[in-house]
Amino acid sequence: MRVVIAEDLALLRDGMRRLLEDNGFEVVDAVGDADALVHAVRREQPQVAIVDIRLPPGFRDEGLRAALELRRTAPGTAVLVVSQYVEHAYASELLAEAGGGGVGYLLKDRVVDVDDFVDAVRRVGEGGTALDPEVVSQLLGRRGASPVDQLTPREREVLELMAEGRSNAAIATALVLTVGAVEKHIASIFQKLRLAPSDTDHRRVLAVLAYLQDSESA
Amino acid sequence: MSSTKRLLTPLVQSDTYLVFVFLFAAVPLGAAVLGLLIGGWVATGVLLVTPLVVPAVVTFRVGTGLLAAGDAALARHLLGTDVRPRLASGGKGWWGRGKAVATDTAFWLQQTYLVIRMTVGFALAVGMASLAGASLFFLTYPAWYRWSELHIRSWHFDTFGHSWVLVPAGAIGVVATAWIARALGVVSRWLVTGLLAERTPSLPRLTTRDLRLRALRIHAAVSGGVSLILVAIWALAGHGYFWPEWPLMPLLLLVLGTHAWVEVVEDVPQLRRHRALLIHIGLVVQFSVFYVLIWALTSRGYFWPVWPILAALITVGLHGAGASIWRATQLRRRVGVLETTRAGAVDEQEANLRRIERDLHDGAQARLVALGMNLGLAEQKLASDPEAAQQLVAEARAGLVEALGELRDLARGIHPPVLTDRGLPAALASLADRSAIPVTVDVDLPERPPAAVETAAYFVAAESLANAAKHAGPATVTIAIRRHGNLLDVRITDDGRGGANPGGSGLTGLRRRVEALDGRLEVTSPAGGPTTIHAELPCES
Repeated sequence: MRVVIAEDLALLRDGMRRLLEDNGFEVVDAVGDADALVHAVRREQPQVAIVDIRLPPGFRDEGLRAALELRRTAPGTAVLVVSQYVEHAYASELLAEAGGGGVGYLLKDRVVDVDDFVDAVRRVGEGGTALDPEVVSQLLGRRGASPVDQLTPREREVLELMAEGRSNAAIATALVLTVGAVEKHIASIFQKLRLAPSDTDHRRVLAVLAYLQDSESA
Repeated sequence: MSSTKRLLTPLVQSDTYLVFVFLFAAVPLGAAVLGLLIGGWVATGVLLVTPLVVPAVVTFRVGTGLLAAGDAALARHLLGTDVRPRLASGGKGWWGRGKAVATDTAFWLQQTYLVIRMTVGFALAVGMASLAGASLFFLTYPAWYRWSELHIRSWHFDTFGHSWVLVPAGAIGVVATAWIARALGVVSRWLVTGLLAERTPSLPRLTTRDLRLRALRIHAAVSGGVSLILVAIWALAGHGYFWPEWPLMPLLLLVLGTHAWVEVVEDVPQLRRHRALLIHIGLVVQFSVFYVLIWALTSRGYFWPVWPILAALITVGLHGAGASIWRATQLRRRVGVLETTRAGAVDEQEANLRRIERDLHDGAQARLVALGMNLGLAEQKLASDPEAAQQLVAEARAGLVEALGELRDLARGIHPPVLTDRGLPAALASLADRSAIPVTVDVDLPERPPAAVETAAYFVAAESLANAAKHAGPATVTIAIRRHGNLLDVRITDDGRGGANPGGSGLTGLRRRVEALDGRLEVTSPAGGPTTIHAELPCES
């Protein structure tokens, strides 16, 4: 899988390059600011761009803006936004631009769990989503009374993992369940939240995220 | 029919009768107030030059507060107001207490209220009792006419038939009494709230331009009205010599001239400091022109205008001297305020840096040391005991994640990145997301305030929210931020148990932060709640 990295700190940029190359990715370019990122993506057309939110020259949210622009102008490239902090507002902006998936938003800390991080990059590159658990808990935590309250604790766990963008198989492994049991839970969740059933993992995730976003603004 | 019904409603509403009770309460209250005021003022006057004056005024103050609170409690039950007057004025030390009483606006307003209740309230009680009594008497007159010798001029109501004539008058009287009682209820409510409620400065403020336009309208209306009246008098008095020209000329000259001056002075920034003086000079010039004109148009003999002009110039001189003294005082006071707030800001900064250093030292730094030790051990065991090494590396990773989390919280506490990137609404929404208590965020701003103001507003909200969560145990918290003129108005209300200490370290820190920006912070937290933290931050320097 071809990857472009945008990260202004050389230490982290090189570390990330090494981590990804050791795990079978091809890092076609690693840049230090938002303009260079846009050029690199146009030139290399990678499957994934990993973008730090805070980039020069303003060190504010240049990376996020570039990522949103890339989603519009280069739909073939998925973007995984990473940051030292997560804000639910940024996740909303990214998801609004996501359309058919291919976005991710993770704390930089998550690279500590290499397997998990690599899995997230791959998932995003394949058109899925990866949402940081902190964002998910913000999404789930902020609502008042809602159908989410009717879920059993187990279903809630499944919902959280789904919202993070994980596949049914990954959820089954994480919760030590069979894939069949996970599918049952998911069917029950969709029924309780009154969502139309979808066939693929990615579609289900997007339906759940759309639901959480919607009911949050309602 | 419905209008008749509406006319009679006050008669069947208990509110009307409760107002009566409230009005009659003025009689015993009035007696108590009379005693209090005489006792209080005489004691104060007699003891004025002795130190005993302090306990005297403090007692006087508490007595006033008790009577006001008692009457307010009555109003709460009878009129449905929600006003709880303060009993004491605070202040520290012997003289501090006395001074606090003398400068306590609430004390003077409570006295004003009590005096009004004693005088007007007493008169109203008597008046309403007579009105109600007379009306009822008329209404039931056919039952009494035998024992009454009532007559109006030569009309005697001494037969059963005649006695009925008064019944409609009685009915009208009863209905009128009820309506008057109702109106008096409204006035009383307004009086209680207006004079006894704790005052919070009212917003929004008017701009100078609004005030100028308002002044122009009032001046134009007054001078126009006076001119019309004078011309009308002149016309009614049979024309003749048009004498109104003499009063009208200075009137118009003054009004138009003054406003022209104000416009000119207002639009020249350098002159703004001396505006009052310049307006004064302008008026004097206009007067002088007027006198000289009269002199020129009339006899042109002895130049008498020199005297009024001289007098006017002396007033200008006094004004100028007064203004410069006043300005010097203001400047000195301002320097004092700036010194205090700067010291506060520096202390606050210092305390914050110390706290950050401590958090780093005890938190992330310690964790990183432990992590380094684990990695060192793991390196040692890599060859001999790979399983133990793996365990140590896993522990190191877990410790690292915790250290990162702590650093992130610390960074957010110093300055939340989302505040810079997206402004107050997003930053406060994020704050609300993280809070365990449901928080309503209500921000309505036409534009982003300056960064320093934005940050201060954010921290006022964050700190108040943290305080509420820690001490008040509220069910909900509301954060409301508005822009009034050039003031940013930040209000955090929680429905917890109240009793917040405005002198506590958290609130003191906030106050210093706000005062460093020339703002104000106000904490209202009666025991039992609700608590409101209200900050006003100027958005322009």
